[in-house]
Amino acid sequence: MKIQFHLIFWAIFTCSYAQNPTYSALTIPDSLKQNANAVVRYSKIDISITSRSAMKTKVIRAITVLNELGLQDLELSENYDKSTSVSKIEATVYDSFGKELKAYKRRDFKDVSVADGFSVFSDNRELYLDYTPTTYPFTMVFESEVETSNTAFIPSWTPFEGYLVSSEYSELVLNYKPELNLRKKEINFSAKYKIEKLENSSSIHYVVKNLTAKKREELIVGSNDIFPYVYFAIEKFSLEGVEGTALNWKELGQWYYQALLADTEEIPEETQLKIKKIVGDEKDPVEIARIIYKYVQEKTRYVSIQIGIGGWKPMLAKDVDKLGYGDCKALTNYTRSLLKIFNIPSYFTLVYAGNKIKNFTTDFAFSQGNHAILALPTSNEMLWLECTSQVQPFGFQGDFTDDRFTLVVKPDGGEIVKTKTFSEEDNVTVLNGTYQMDTEGNIVGKIKITSKGLSYDNEFGKLRLNRDNQVKKYKEEFNTINNLKINKINISDDSKGVVFEENLEFEAEGYAQNSAGKLMFALNAFDQNSEVPKKYRTREFPFQIQRGFTNQDEIEIVLPEGYKVEAKPNGIEQKNEFGYYKIEFLDLNNGKLKCLRKLVLNKGQFVKEKYEEYRKFRELIAKNDNSKVVLSKTQ
Amino acid sequence: MRTLYSMLFITVITVNTYSQSHDLGDVTIDELKEKVCPSDTSAPAAVLFTIGKSHFDYSHEEGFELVTEIFTKIKIYKKEGYGLADQVVSYYSGNRGSEKVGVSKAVTFNLVNNKIEKSKLKGDGEFDEKTSKNWMRKKFTMPNVKEGSIIEFKIEIKSHYIHNFPDWEFQKRIPVKYTEYTTYIPEYYLYNTYFKGVASPEITKDGKSRKIDYTYLEEGVNGHLGTTRRNSTLEFNESITKYVLSNVPALKQETYVNNIDNYRLTLLHELAGTRYPNSPYENFSTDWESVVKKIYDNEDFGSELNKTGYFDNDIDQALTGLTKPEERVAAIFNFVKERMNWDGTNRVNCEAGVRKAYQDRKGNSSEINLMLTSMLRYAGFDANPVLLSTRSNGISLYPSITSFNYVIAGLELENQVVLLDATSKYSVPDILPFESLNWFGRIIRKGGSSALIDLMPKTNSKDIINIMGSIATTGEVSGKIREQYFDYNAFYFRELYASVSTDSYIEKLEKKHQGLEVSDYALQNKLDLSKPIIENYAFTSSNAVETIADKMYFSPFLFFSTTENPFKQEVREYPIDFIFPHQDKFNVSLNIPEGYVVETLPQNKAIGMPDNIGNFKFNISNTGNQIQMLFTCDINQAIVNPDKYEILKNFFKEMVTVQTEKIVLKKI
Repeated sequence: MKIQFHLIFWAIFTCSYAQNPTYSALTIPDSLKQNANAVVRYSKIDISITSRSAMKTKVIRAITVLNELGLQDLELSENYDKSTSVSKIEATVYDSFGKELKAYKRRDFKDVSVADGFSVFSDNRELYLDYTPTTYPFTMVFESEVETSNTAFIPSWTPFEGYLVSSEYSELVLNYKPELNLRKKEINFSAKYKIEKLENSSSIHYVVKNLTAKKREELIVGSNDIFPYVYFAIEKFSLEGVEGTALNWKELGQWYYQALLADTEEIPEETQLKIKKIVGDEKDPVEIARIIYKYVQEKTRYVSIQIGIGGWKPMLAKDVDKLGYGDCKALTNYTRSLLKIFNIPSYFTLVYAGNKIKNFTTDFAFSQGNHAILALPTSNEMLWLECTSQVQPFGFQGDFTDDRFTLVVKPDGGEIVKTKTFSEEDNVTVLNGTYQMDTEGNIVGKIKITSKGLSYDNEFGKLRLNRDNQVKKYKEEFNTINNLKINKINISDDSKGVVFEENLEFEAEGYAQNSAGKLMFALNAFDQNSEVPKKYRTREFPFQIQRGFTNQDEIEIVLPEGYKVEAKPNGIEQKNEFGYYKIEFLDLNNGKLKCLRKLVLNKGQFVKEKYEEYRKFRELIAKNDNSKVVLSKTQ
Repeated sequence: MRTLYSMLFITVITVNTYSQSHDLGDVTIDELKEKVCPSDTSAPAAVLFTIGKSHFDYSHEEGFELVTEIFTKIKIYKKEGYGLADQVVSYYSGNRGSEKVGVSKAVTFNLVNNKIEKSKLKGDGEFDEKTSKNWMRKKFTMPNVKEGSIIEFKIEIKSHYIHNFPDWEFQKRIPVKYTEYTTYIPEYYLYNTYFKGVASPEITKDGKSRKIDYTYLEEGVNGHLGTTRRNSTLEFNESITKYVLSNVPALKQETYVNNIDNYRLTLLHELAGTRYPNSPYENFSTDWESVVKKIYDNEDFGSELNKTGYFDNDIDQALTGLTKPEERVAAIFNFVKERMNWDGTNRVNCEAGVRKAYQDRKGNSSEINLMLTSMLRYAGFDANPVLLSTRSNGISLYPSITSFNYVIAGLELENQVVLLDATSKYSVPDILPFESLNWFGRIIRKGGSSALIDLMPKTNSKDIINIMGSIATTGEVSGKIREQYFDYNAFYFRELYASVSTDSYIEKLEKKHQGLEVSDYALQNKLDLSKPIIENYAFTSSNAVETIADKMYFSPFLFFSTTENPFKQEVREYPIDFIFPHQDKFNVSLNIPEGYVVETLPQNKAIGMPDNIGNFKFNISNTGNQIQMLFTCDINQAIVNPDKYEILKNFFKEMVTVQTEKIVLKKI
């Protein structure tokens, strides 16, 4: 079977310099063109691991780009650094008939630093081809060979090439020395993908054909919840010259601790004395941790330095102490080392950070994550400290690392632990407001908003904004009130209890439409949720509500002198698996109206068949949140 | 141009500074204790002083070298100002070697127990990095920065690239308390100086004679072996100019602004010429004519423009049978747009050259548009290149080679120049990509003479929406919509959606207008650029009409209503940039449901702004069961002066009122 694949390979490449029918865009079946901006015609990744410190990856990727939106799928680049070298990189472009237009050699590729705006320094560089297409469709054949001494990260494989890209043929070959003990984890290998697989004691081989292009539907679950992926790891690996052995999370964590953390913990005598003085008589470990966290927040700032092993091993704690800066690993480890002075155990933790939740593959141990936080065990729960932030409250990680599986690195081994999940009962916003309308439809009023849980996380940044930017923010927040003027802002932040309170005084001209002596306006002036997800004629994938929340509003409206309610909306109540919504409009019969509203959105994953029902629910909310009252003159 | 300059005006409050040390190292406890910036309490950090000096050194081997030393002291008030602790200096590395950047005297000062604590920058906080073939970056990150810290550093840049005189930015994103710049320029060099933003720094001028001793090795002559070390002295006059400005406010970002850097107070130096001893005066650029001539004489421009022969057969073929001038122009323009692909770079000069670009079917802005110009000339038209500065490059304020970064083509007709830019597949004559719409350009005529040319569009690009709909007793509205996009609106539409599939476009449309369902969507003239974009579709909308008790309320604009005033700021400092003047027009006809009558209609309204900035007209009428509405809004100027901001803001407020005002239907 393997030989046969090589034959296919030769068949394609021996004739590639003549007119090449294989790369003609004309032969692409319609099914692969539907929804596609690009079609991967042939993709072969050939990995060979010849020792624990030698891995070579060969890539051949032929892609037909159908239009300019498909340009981003070209992927004409390879990264390198001191332990990774690019031994071959070239590309050839063909027109829609498969006729060669131009061949690009290594010297045509640009060599740039990948240091982003955040990083101060990184020795990681990139070779890339800056290609300007001259015609659509065209086919680009990219070939590269990359050699590395790092085997702690073996490229994972998926035939899924991204949304709006189809794949005609995708192949992976992995050859390895049996004594390295390769492990693998296959996910979403459902029958509908027709994955061909061959395996023996020193190689593994996958082929997937004709994967059609998919749309990135709104609220779609993560791609690794839907598409096939394979992850690999070897038992005996090497990272920047540091050797490791691991078969499971426990061993991986053990290695991480011994090789990368154990010798970094030293804190200079002087700082030890200083911190002991600050902590004073405090005995409660959580309170000591609170003091130390604050100390680190005051003392340090986030600066990224990723050089060599520094991409994985934290800067020494004593260097952070001297310089007052470090990256996530360095600051987490520094905090951990300070806690150690007081014999308070805390653990370096690896995680995928980001607002979109990404989990560790819990049942398969291999190097993962893009961020480090600190886990602090307490008597009743684990607290999670985000050490790169100078402003985050103690033990409150917000939506950057919430609700996901992480690797907690303990001296005696690693453990998979889930971070805090914020439920709809935790993420609560309570709004109390009043406003008074005059006969012109102008309003003046007050609002008090209290936010907890992740709602706190969304709002507390306002504390540090200057007044101009605060006002700007409120104008965005209350965008249903035109000509809004904020007269007074009073913010109080209880960072210990994680409660944020905003008190505002405002006025606005022409909130109500004044026509023919009648005033019409939405009673719910402050908290309209107008977000309605896109309508799909046919939805293909399940959807998720990643985080739930609760909004509770009570708004009192004082009517203008000489006006009465001519018509008011009825309000509505609905409860379903997505949540609960109730809005009521009460005539208090003393020249006042009241709007009572409660919205609970539940966190969850739902099958695609439920999507339209959810969309309708949100439509109903949007409509009723904006329902209007009509006032007319008495007499 | 006059209006342009006046629009770049920014108020600078010059207050006499109390005496305060401007030397590095003189940090006081009071300075460290200061909690907020007195002139701007919201500032996260402030430059306490920044003092620069540029002078020339001489050595026999290297000749003159430009040396710039900058001494900076920054106070960090808040965590949001920590970014200032990471500094980056970009420098050039070309055929005359690399510029050299040195960082010294870099210290962070903190107040610890009422004592000043110093932390010096060590080698572990400095990094060099190559960013591209000719550009390097030195980065350094200051140690121990906290709220309240003061950081200081000296940067020294040595350069053989005397064209590359540093720009001095008096204004930063944070307030600058004191900024001073002194230039020491030997008589051999002539620089023109220019200010961006109307700044009034205090300028003092002085002149001195200066001596530089240097040594050199003389090779043996007349049969003598060995070399001899000799000393010599170079004596010349030097002009010294010092610029001082105090209390410069932070540069603030606003919406609807072209390029904020156009308004930053900056001093620029342009090398006008060199006058070396025993050499004739060499002129670089002194006025627009010289600049243009210099660009024109550059072999990567003028001679590229004059190259012919590489396209003759193809153009002959493209012009076969065409006799009308407008058809011939269109044929050539379309030929270039079709054949050539812009590589995304903005350049005045060719890189690969027109011939190679033509062969490879791709090129930069210069190659594509110089080629277009030559082809038009070949076909007998009077066509010339137009130099301009793109929006992201800022506004070219003075005659300088570097103030242009882009070329388009100008077709000279009687009393008119038609502008053509073939870098975008969707541009048509006089419709340029937005990046090119940046005030003024210079047209270079044959022989190298030039003239100023206004790039900004003068006619209003229209957007016309026709709605024919009926309201059902359920409150649902259904009907047909026809929207036509002209000129810049069409260009913009094509740039955004020409390659998007109909399906995803409809999804976007439905998402934008809540409760809308679109069917029978048809798009006309997507690729026929000579015609407007026309969309036709059937719609139903579930939430355009609000039913409360026995009445229905709705805006005749349905879901197209502008409900928010785009202008929210109370005051405005910079011009408002609409990019192009435009007209929005609505023609709406709605049938009301059976059993209902019109109770109230909004009132007709017409509002105009002074100086012909713009106006709108709203007319509504009702006959039988039909409501007719006609609305036209014109914004006649692409750029509006900030002193008209209040007027503009009110105009939009009135427009929002009109577009949200409701028709009331009553059940009979």
